[in-house]
Amino acid sequence: MQLDFSIIFNYIPEFVSALGVTLKVTVCSLLLGLVFSVPLSLFKISGIKPLEWFAALYTSIFRGVPLMAQVFMMYFGVPLVLPVKFTAFTAGTLVFSMNSAAYISESMRGGIRAIDKGQYEASMALGVRYGAMMKDIILPQAIKSVMPSLVNEFISLLKNTTLIASIGLVDILRVGQLIQSRTYRAFEPFFAISVFYYVLVMALSFLGKLLERWVNKSDRR
Amino acid sequence: MIDVKNLHKSFGALQVLRGIDLHVDRGDVVSIIGPSGSGKSTLLRSINLLETATSGEIWVDSKLITRPDPSLHPGENLQEITKAHYQDPYALRRKVGMVFQHFNLFPHKTVLENMIYAPVTVLKLPREQAVEKARALLESVGMLEKIDVYPGTLSGGQTQRVAIARALAMEPDVMLFDEPTSALDPEMVKEVLDVIKRLAGSGMTMLLVTHEMGFAREVSDRICFLDEGRLIEDAPPEIFFSTPKSERARIFLDKVL
Ligand SMILES: Nc1ncnc2c1ncn2[C@@H]1O[C@H](COP(=O)(O)OP(=O)(O)O)[C@@H](O)[C@H]1O
Ligand SMILES: [Mg+2]
Repeated sequence: MQLDFSIIFNYIPEFVSALGVTLKVTVCSLLLGLVFSVPLSLFKISGIKPLEWFAALYTSIFRGVPLMAQVFMMYFGVPLVLPVKFTAFTAGTLVFSMNSAAYISESMRGGIRAIDKGQYEASMALGVRYGAMMKDIILPQAIKSVMPSLVNEFISLLKNTTLIASIGLVDILRVGQLIQSRTYRAFEPFFAISVFYYVLVMALSFLGKLLERWVNKSDRR
Repeated sequence: MIDVKNLHKSFGALQVLRGIDLHVDRGDVVSIIGPSGSGKSTLLRSINLLETATSGEIWVDSKLITRPDPSLHPGENLQEITKAHYQDPYALRRKVGMVFQHFNLFPHKTVLENMIYAPVTVLKLPREQAVEKARALLESVGMLEKIDVYPGTLSGGQTQRVAIARALAMEPDVMLFDEPTSALDPEMVKEVLDVIKRLAGSGMTMLLVTHEMGFAREVSDRICFLDEGRLIEDAPPEIFFSTPKSERARIFLDKVL
């Protein structure tokens, strides 16, 4: 079989807008996930049993149920029992961010645990209240140890977002299927997509390294 | 200024403080010495409520900071006492500064940010005013030139001097020092003691846990000797160091002097 990569170039506009969708879902999910993970990790270390149980249950659910099932549940299932209506984008982003929150909160918990108790004592001795102490003293330091897993999460999110093609969003993978159905060619589009994801992930890993270094600037001697 | 009355503190079955009575007047410099594990840190930490007393009372500046102890108020209404005298931990901690053995500067904040964080966040001081005060305090501990660096780049002695200045930025009425030089390399002890000595000379009320006997003798109005959770001597340094009353104190002094 003759390979002809030039067909890819006919679909550049589709690829560009699909890249936008993929990145939008990924970035929104990561940021929302980070936001959700803060209360979740605080619940986990709260010492208040009901909060700890809630957080543990939450985490185990999102870890235990296949991601595809979660996406279908949110998009098709939930609107049937609750008075809500999601676009595919909203449903996807919600599921992915709730997932990320479960994952990130685990490493955030570890990061908070690792902080010297002297940091709490110094804050308290200065009259700082719990909320401000967490926001300004403890979490900024915990974030540092979360950084590597944040980059990992970004990357797995990027790959997992291909699942939203299944609820009709046109992401990069979906463009591949489109090309396949129109041209009856499969190798070229999916090869191009694989290269595309690979390059994106490598670029992200690199950016992650830079970010980590920037966050750790106060440790430099 | 500080009144500790029959203070007890247990961690589970371990009785760490077994009935401490201590009175510190405004302007007093009181050193607390004693063997390791005798409860010195616990006593100090109880005074700014990093530990919660099991029983007994602590009064700071005529305010009750613990729950009232029924045995100290026979026949009185405890609720009335609370209502009249109780002060919450946040108000208390603004008046009481603490310096730790391990400094506990915030590593992700620069020296200046360390200095102004609590004044701005807790006292609601305008930033410019906090910065101005921070500069003056850093100047006074000889750390002004390090104002923009992160604590990780400082030596132990420099870090502790900043930590002292940070506590002073809250304009406390009392300063608590818990072995402020114990984590320092020997050559850095003096620079920190000099700062503390100057502070003592300025009339600051101070409670100081230390193993630096010479220093304690020099700056203190009184020496308190703690042993197994009991305060068994409380005397001016001349008397304590020359003629300690108890056998325990004599043995301790033989070891450390
Ligand atoms: N949070 C705690 N939990 C259990 N035991 C503690 C705690 N803090 C201190 N202790 C114990 O209390 C005793 C007195 O400690 P501390 O006040 O630190 O003594 P010092 O400062 O005189 O060396 C020690 O036996 C110590 O192990
Ligand atoms: Mg101690």
